[in-house]
Amino acid sequence: MPQRTLRFRIHADGRVEERVEGVAGEACLALTERLEAALGSVVRRESTTEAYSTNAQQIQTVPVEHV
Amino acid sequence: MSHFSTVRTELRQREPLMAALRDLGYEPEAGSRPVRGYRGQTIDADLAVILQDGGDLGFRWNAATGAYELVTDLDLWRQPVPVERFLSRLTQRYALNTVLTASTDEGFTVSEQRSCQDGSIELVVTRWDA
Repeated sequence: MPQRTLRFRIHADGRVEERVEGVAGEACLALTERLEAALGSVVRRESTTEAYSTNAQQIQTVPVEHV
Repeated sequence: MSHFSTVRTELRQREPLMAALRDLGYEPEAGSRPVRGYRGQTIDADLAVILQDGGDLGFRWNAATGAYELVTDLDLWRQPVPVERFLSRLTQRYALNTVLTASTDEGFTVSEQRSCQDGSIELVVTRWDA
């Protein structure tokens, strides 16, 4: 039974960094998509070569801007 | 699946916005109400913090952008931090509350939460999958 771990760093200026440790499964993707919907509109998304690896670390930077 | 995303974050949802205001020590009130500015002038907001000293803090829903916007009389700003700093702190708490709610809803448990010296907040959530 694998443990999914996500680390977030929420900066004082509002930027959110997300890092997935271990296997990035469907649960992590679902959470990531949910966060993107709640925090704001995705203006750019880049898949990396790690997208095809099942045990790569996932690093995501989500800058939070003021309205 | 690994990817990098750039998200322009906005104050989109009322509940995490209300929670963020409470985190900063305010008592927000939901529902349409006037916020007071200079010489008792008012403007309608969708949620507000009524203050004794200075003008009120209001947030108005902008249907075009799908986000809440701060509406207040800056000439009457009496908060302990400048308005830019206030919005930074509010946005950080909004992001934190959003991450906490979304993580819990997706079945994750918070295993660590700490404030760092640089003012950032570190959060670790975990979930066991069958």
